Amino acid sequence: MLEKLEKIREEGFASIANAADAEKLEAIRKELTGKKSALQEVLKSLGGIDPEMRKTVGMKANEVKNIFAEKIREKEEELVAKASVVDGEIDLTLPGIEVPRGALHPITQMCYDLNDAFRSLGFEIYSEDDISSEKFAFDNLNFAADHPARASMDTYWLEGTENKRGNERLCLRPHLTGGSVRYLLEHGAPARFVYPGRVYRNETTDARHERAFFQYEALIVDRNISFSSGRVMIETILEKVFGRKVNVRMREGFFPFTEPGYEIDMECLLCGGKGCKACNQAGWIEVMPGGVIHPNVLRAANLDPDEWTGFYTNIGLDRLVMMRYGVDDVRLFHSADLRFLEQFK
Amino acid sequence: MNISFKFLERYVDLPEDLSYEQIAYDLTMRTVEVEKIINTADKFHDIVVGEIKEIKAHPNADALKICIVDVGEDELKQIVCGGSNLQAGHRVCVSKPGAEVVWHGEGEPVLIKESKLRGEKSYGMICGATEVFLGDIFPPKDEREIVDFTDLGVDCEVGQCVAEVAGLDDVILEIDNKSLSNRPDLWGHLGMARELAAIYKLPLKDYPTELPKGLPEYPVEIQEPDRCPRFTATIIDNVYVKESPAWMKTLITNGGMRPINALVDITNFVLMAVGQPQHAYDSTHVEGGKVVVRLAHEGEKLVLLDEKDLDLTPDHLVICDTVEPMNLAGIKGGKKDSVLDTTTSIVLETAVFTAPGIRRTTNYFNEKTDAALRYEKGIDTQRADLGVALALELFKEIYPECEIKAFTDCYPVKTENAVIDITQQFLDERLGEVLERSEIEDILTRLGYEVTFNDGTYHCIVPTWRSTGDVSIHDDILGDIARLIGYEYFKKQPLKVSFEHSVNQVKVDLARRLREYLAFRCGFNEIFTYPWIDERFIKAAKIDTDKAVRLATPPAPELGILRSSLVPGLLETIDKNYRNFDRFSVFEAAQVFEKGEYRPSTEEEVLPVHRNLLSGAIVGKDAVEIFFQVKGVIEGLAGYCHTEPLTFEQKEQPTWADAKVWLNIMSGKNIIGSIGLVSVSALAESGIKLVNAAVFELDTDLLVPYPSRTNEFKPLPQYPLVDQDLSLLVDESMTWKEIKESIKYMVKDLKFVEEYRGKQIPKGKKSVMLSLRIGNDDSTMTSKQIDKKMNGIIKVLGKKCGAELR
Repeated sequence: MLEKLEKIREEGFASIANAADAEKLEAIRKELTGKKSALQEVLKSLGGIDPEMRKTVGMKANEVKNIFAEKIREKEEELVAKASVVDGEIDLTLPGIEVPRGALHPITQMCYDLNDAFRSLGFEIYSEDDISSEKFAFDNLNFAADHPARASMDTYWLEGTENKRGNERLCLRPHLTGGSVRYLLEHGAPARFVYPGRVYRNETTDARHERAFFQYEALIVDRNISFSSGRVMIETILEKVFGRKVNVRMREGFFPFTEPGYEIDMECLLCGGKGCKACNQAGWIEVMPGGVIHPNVLRAANLDPDEWTGFYTNIGLDRLVMMRYGVDDVRLFHSADLRFLEQFK
Repeated sequence: MNISFKFLERYVDLPEDLSYEQIAYDLTMRTVEVEKIINTADKFHDIVVGEIKEIKAHPNADALKICIVDVGEDELKQIVCGGSNLQAGHRVCVSKPGAEVVWHGEGEPVLIKESKLRGEKSYGMICGATEVFLGDIFPPKDEREIVDFTDLGVDCEVGQCVAEVAGLDDVILEIDNKSLSNRPDLWGHLGMARELAAIYKLPLKDYPTELPKGLPEYPVEIQEPDRCPRFTATIIDNVYVKESPAWMKTLITNGGMRPINALVDITNFVLMAVGQPQHAYDSTHVEGGKVVVRLAHEGEKLVLLDEKDLDLTPDHLVICDTVEPMNLAGIKGGKKDSVLDTTTSIVLETAVFTAPGIRRTTNYFNEKTDAALRYEKGIDTQRADLGVALALELFKEIYPECEIKAFTDCYPVKTENAVIDITQQFLDERLGEVLERSEIEDILTRLGYEVTFNDGTYHCIVPTWRSTGDVSIHDDILGDIARLIGYEYFKKQPLKVSFEHSVNQVKVDLARRLREYLAFRCGFNEIFTYPWIDERFIKAAKIDTDKAVRLATPPAPELGILRSSLVPGLLETIDKNYRNFDRFSVFEAAQVFEKGEYRPSTEEEVLPVHRNLLSGAIVGKDAVEIFFQVKGVIEGLAGYCHTEPLTFEQKEQPTWADAKVWLNIMSGKNIIGSIGLVSVSALAESGIKLVNAAVFELDTDLLVPYPSRTNEFKPLPQYPLVDQDLSLLVDESMTWKEIKESIKYMVKDLKFVEEYRGKQIPKGKKSVMLSLRIGNDDSTMTSKQIDKKMNGIIKVLGKKCGAELR
């Protein structure tokens, strides 16, 4: 009897272990523990055997029954863990289903990065219109009356106004700086603001020169600020743009609307200032001009230069974006070529 | 401009331990941008002095000789040479293997290698002057002549580098001219030496300043003292055209000019040395023996040295004799006055012309000469002293037999020193650091200022060479002090932040959200196109150009119109891209222009009208699908961007739109833009094939932004809602809007599912499927209630819309 039970147990274990799915397992359960199972038959036949033996066999039969129940439960858990909602084979290397993926223009991306940096410093964002008068584009900014930038070889004058002067001579703005006086006339001082935008120059275009390009200018006007505050501002901006600390240096430069004016160089990120091909072995890359706002510009904005001073900086966005991504032709920015723009998703 | 260190030695001794790199760095940081450091000896590597020991005939060529040459190495070398003036015992110029020479002075340099010439070994090459960059210093008399240092009487050693022998072992700083534009005083080696002396605290060497005295005068008349504040004429006899001495030719070459003849070279040398342009006239060419500085007469003509004919106007200043103009004042010599081989006496002009007139005239005739480049920066009248004094010193050295016959100094206007006061307080505040008085005085004195200090104020007399506009206000002096100390030595000063009010710019935020919505949610790519648009696309979009603003000098003839809509730019973009992509979405945000009156800042300034437009296109094959996609984009815009809601009506058809498929975008009662399919003709005229385009354009200034988020919370429904779908059969003319309006009040929510036309649908009818949601506010709907509600809805649809269930 006991040998028979042992055989039932061994065969039962084997068939539980071999159950392939929940359905088969259920059938096995019925087969092993159901009313018609071999085990039940052993239990039913207990009455006919020796009482000593009956006790031993009964205990053994119940033990087998319990072990079957436990094994089946274990197998059930195992099968649930292995189950998939998907029948059959699936190729998980297939691509995901695409969501609409557009992109801001790389120039806009850079511009917004800078906006975020300046906003965090409490700057306002301002924009001047694309068309300006000679008064705001040149006269207010201390450009000499015969400065070459005023010529039609440099600036796009509007038809019918090209031979007039001052307020009546209109152009596509050649730089952003005219906007500074507009803002100051409107808001007064103290002021801290940025004014990004597109500017236009009558140029022959090539991989490094464009007729329409983007600048990002910032101005602080306050009482008694030193030009060396400007360096902190510039380092903050570049850190934001490049995601790490960037060393900068200021050196002598000249612009009509600043005094003193300077060129601002940043340490070449590729060679860390040691000198490489990208920086022409200089270790430094010229990134922006800047300077202290010229007293004549403050006067044009109805501000007293003895009371107020300020600090400009003007970033060439195209150049910065070209450095950020390694773009080698500035004309791509206005190409509206999606093969280019899609790279900035 | 090129600055030669050999030339600088005339004016300042720079410390030996100072590297060229350091000097270039210091100049760049403090004064002007040095673009390059050039070692002029570099191109002379492996080009040395050799001595010909023996000359033998070449067995296979009559024109060639075999020379045995000592080039300063252990053994003698055999070199095959075809030179016409080979002489044993003479020292010549030898290019060793590795040297680069220019064959016959033309073309790219060629590398010298050991080789065989007509079967005979040749170690290197015995060279003619033009082959080794010496053509200007030792001009050859015939083509086959080699450089013979022995004949030329030049001191040299066997094996010595030829650059050294010719004085061409110089270092040149190439300065960015743009960075010099505000420093007229630096356009010469003396000025640059003065600046270096100031930077390194060095003394300047003496240089001549004395004018000739006690000589008869030569008649000079200045009619326009505003344009010509000073004109000196020096008459020098007993001169003739000859070669300049080698030292002068070398310095002129190193400075970036070419030697011509001693008379011209002296004036060029003076230009390079002190930045004073000069001009030499053949005395016999000055008719009437008198110089007149005057404005040209209307219709007067002048033929320049290079035969160019100028039609002069009364704005052009000319130097004349008693008959006619001889040259264009301060810019270029005329053909008439030029020095010839027969010249024996000259009138040397050393004059000063004021900058604005020079600038106008150079631009008018497009004559950017070295003289004009200097005059147009503004030269002080005192510089003429330096020019005359140096020229006379040179004449005496190069033409010992010459005779100074007469000298006239016509000097109606003198450059006055600028006088500027600057307070200690101003300096302390603006520099952000307090500097010692002695340091400030020292810096300014080194730069040529005369400084006295009294009661907190520095009284500064600016040197004349900085007084022609460069230094005019106290900020300029501040700049001089700061740069001489070096911007890098000033401590960084933190920026103080004041919390007066938050930066809250709703319009700025809106502009950004619009772009981000289109790019990030709707999958558009942002593009930039030019404001000047090819007229072809303006015509294709049928945009009226009556009120268009135009450029006076456009980039190209067809690009003269500034855009009044962004749609032509979109058409151009679609045309560019549709061959590469059959489905894409692009948008652009930019300003457009129209004639009109707009005063952004002041009453006096009147600009054309500007509008800020946002425009985009979805390009694809299925016109209806892309139209409704664009419509969906505009429908979702107000929610994302926090503006007042947008609706659609058909009021004004856009010029570029399809006959049927277009709508105006409304904000309240205002039309703020349009959407539509691009018309068949606009596509065709733009050259766009195989695809359709659905376009939107709206004026973002007419969007009304909310100051903050305005989503409103509604309590969640207490009882479950029931979803029901209906499939209706209606007339073709029945619109979704009518269906929606008819039952809106009966349902909690109503959605369009699809429209269907097909075999099962009778002609003139369409099937519309909709999904609606119903429910009670106070209880769960029973199935009876649901049936009742649905029957009611179907009844209303039947009555108001003629709809039957399908």
